[in-house]
Amino acid sequence: MSRSKIVGAIEIGTSKVVVLVAEMADGRSMNIIGRGQSTTAGMKKGEIVDIRSVSDCAHAAIMAAERDAGKEIEHVYLSLSGSHLWGFRNAGATAITGTDGIVSGTDILRAAENAKSRGLEPGEVYIHHIRSGFILDGKLVENPVAREGSHLEVQYWHVAADEQKVKDQIMVVNGFGLDVNDIVISSLATGSLVATEEEKRQGVLVVDIGKGVTDYVLYKGRRVVQTGVIPVGGDHITNDLGLGLRVKSKLAESLKKRSACAMVQKEDRTKKVPLVGDLSIGDSFHSQLTINKITHARLEELFIILKNRMGSALTRQNLPCGMILTGGVSRTPMIQELAEVTLDVPVALAQSPDWVRNSELQEPEYATVLGLLYNALHDQKESRSDDGNAPRKTWFKKVTGLFG
Amino acid sequence: MEQPGFFPEQDPLVEDQLPDGTLRIKIIGIGGAGTNAVDRIKLEDLEQVHLTAIDTDSQVLSASPVEETYLLGRTVTNGKSTGGSVSKGQLAAEADSNALREIVRGIDLVFLLAGLGGGTGSGAAPVIAELAKSEGALVIAFTPLPFKREGAGRCERAEKALESMRKHCHAVISLPNDLIFEQVDESATLMEAFATADKWIKLGVHSVWSMLFNTGLINLDFSTLQAALSDPGGRTIFGTGYGKGENSLEVAIKDLESCPLFHLPDPGVIKETDQLVLNLTGGPDMTMATVNKAMDLINEKLGSKSSLIMGASIDGSFYNQLRITIMGTVRGTGITKGYAPVPAASIPPNGPVAPPLKPAESFESKEAPPPSKREQEEFAFPSQEENRGLFERTQRNLYEGIDLDIPTYLRRGMKIPRN
Repeated sequence: MSRSKIVGAIEIGTSKVVVLVAEMADGRSMNIIGRGQSTTAGMKKGEIVDIRSVSDCAHAAIMAAERDAGKEIEHVYLSLSGSHLWGFRNAGATAITGTDGIVSGTDILRAAENAKSRGLEPGEVYIHHIRSGFILDGKLVENPVAREGSHLEVQYWHVAADEQKVKDQIMVVNGFGLDVNDIVISSLATGSLVATEEEKRQGVLVVDIGKGVTDYVLYKGRRVVQTGVIPVGGDHITNDLGLGLRVKSKLAESLKKRSACAMVQKEDRTKKVPLVGDLSIGDSFHSQLTINKITHARLEELFIILKNRMGSALTRQNLPCGMILTGGVSRTPMIQELAEVTLDVPVALAQSPDWVRNSELQEPEYATVLGLLYNALHDQKESRSDDGNAPRKTWFKKVTGLFG
Repeated sequence: MEQPGFFPEQDPLVEDQLPDGTLRIKIIGIGGAGTNAVDRIKLEDLEQVHLTAIDTDSQVLSASPVEETYLLGRTVTNGKSTGGSVSKGQLAAEADSNALREIVRGIDLVFLLAGLGGGTGSGAAPVIAELAKSEGALVIAFTPLPFKREGAGRCERAEKALESMRKHCHAVISLPNDLIFEQVDESATLMEAFATADKWIKLGVHSVWSMLFNTGLINLDFSTLQAALSDPGGRTIFGTGYGKGENSLEVAIKDLESCPLFHLPDPGVIKETDQLVLNLTGGPDMTMATVNKAMDLINEKLGSKSSLIMGASIDGSFYNQLRITIMGTVRGTGITKGYAPVPAASIPPNGPVAPPLKPAESFESKEAPPPSKREQEEFAFPSQEENRGLFERTQRNLYEGIDLDIPTYLRRGMKIPRN
């Protein structure tokens, strides 16, 4: 009965703005009908430094996507990243109030409110409250409703962000005359796409190494257990190479894409690679060993930081499915080997699920936006079931149900 | 001593000798002393090099004949001077960073002339240097230092500013006023005295210029200089000397030793020097023997054979004359405080000059032998704080007290093999 919706997923990344337009019918199926992207200017480390140029880039990408789709976007889902995002675990507990000792819906609600009540610093705002499990009388349970017990604890992973930075991102989209329906942090969007249900159940870490920052999300028992952002990305490798070899960052960037490798190999010692590589006069040659050493140091450090952040969660026992790498930097040769050596868990490169048929959309840069659409589809289902068709005006919606 | 013959009749800075805009040079004077120096260069009418005067004091600027002037920190000081406050100078420069960036955009070589010790020079110059560097320019600063008599506070400010200049500039050539004024007669007017200081600055600028532009037999170009100075933070060595007549070489070297711009750091340190650029300018009569001898003598004095790059150029008007210019960076090993006292420079010409360069024997002395004769294939990096490159203008990226924006290999102190 109801007509289909045109949903746009927008990721404003440090390297590019990617927009996908999908037509969703009845919250059951979707067709991706448009795609637009543009190279971003004015972003550093996943955050907006020049809102004007970011707006221009984003608008160009949205326009291209709408033109490609031939339809106007009605609902916008925006991904969010940047080092201002931070997460923490906070549990809420409550005593079961019913005389029969049976857990009821209100008990859960009360525990949830309890968990969410932690105040933030002024200028900060909650993005997500992600439920990661119930503990009823000290035992982890899937669904406590209608079970008997006396003490219920609900575990939450909360994600908070700098309010101004979130507003900036929204303003970029609003500037095009679009409202933002919902914001999803990049790591969740990416994770929900590239990790399978089975992997999420057993435990998996999805790491998206982008140009500006690295987003990660840890799943265990089909729940999100932890998310985070490390403010290190491909730009750092470029910068390291630029400073180390004393070349301009633009040249360093192309050199990195052409020749950088995450591991130092034997034959690098003698190998030289051209800086420009177009056989032009005056092109300089750089040692492959130098390039790889610099790249190796940076990426190894990134994995070590990741390891420190995850602690004991990042071991073979606790994480049988290991780590899934995605993002532009995951294209670096040998990065998989480096991660395996550093973290001692199995490492795989991300693959899009089967339903993504278009080979271009399977590239790592689309993982986040596809994830957004995937979430949007679920969101539509949810919204149908609870409040019918009323569109949500506010972006500040708790997506507990979605991820919980 | 006058430096005759250095500016030949036809000024080398005239347009037709400049290669077609391939190299853009800008001389920027910052603060009162810097503006004065630029003004004086302007009065000498060296046109083709772009001149800019930057100050917080609108009065100083309005009196300046330089074509490009910029009033700094309108919002901070309202066109009045900083009154000696370094933080005000810095604030002013930071507030106007966009406009300053425009000024240095697209320039290959920036000379910063800034008197340290005052507010604008000490506060704004490091900021401008940083901007210029981030815009890709090679930044060479000439910084007059205040008289010791001007008070300990001022000297201390100057010393601090000098240190931060060293961080941001590729080369900082300091010029203690105390040394310069020893060259001036008691009877000299104040005008003349300051003119002497400015002349040394101009000479410095000029010798770098002629190193780059006079076509050489053994050519030194911009890239060579860039390579020699590529790493900010080290201690700069700069000197120039002039000789005439029969023994022009010996005279020139003697003159070099007494150049007030040429402060040699502690003996022995120089062996750590990674690259020194030596340029000889002579007349068409310059012989290979002279060149060889010059190389030998300098090598002997500085004791850094492996790292000396030599250039030689011919100037038609330099018959029977010779100019030696030396420039380079000494790395690491702690910046020596203050400057080695270089007693009276070239005045009187053949006076009893105590050469700052110790004879070669004492260099060879046992006090600080370098651990091993290391070939210059590896470089150590002196200061990490500023190696942020792309991220220079962003917030520090702190993780457990470490700035992640600084390259990992630097923080780990890894040696990076170079080509």
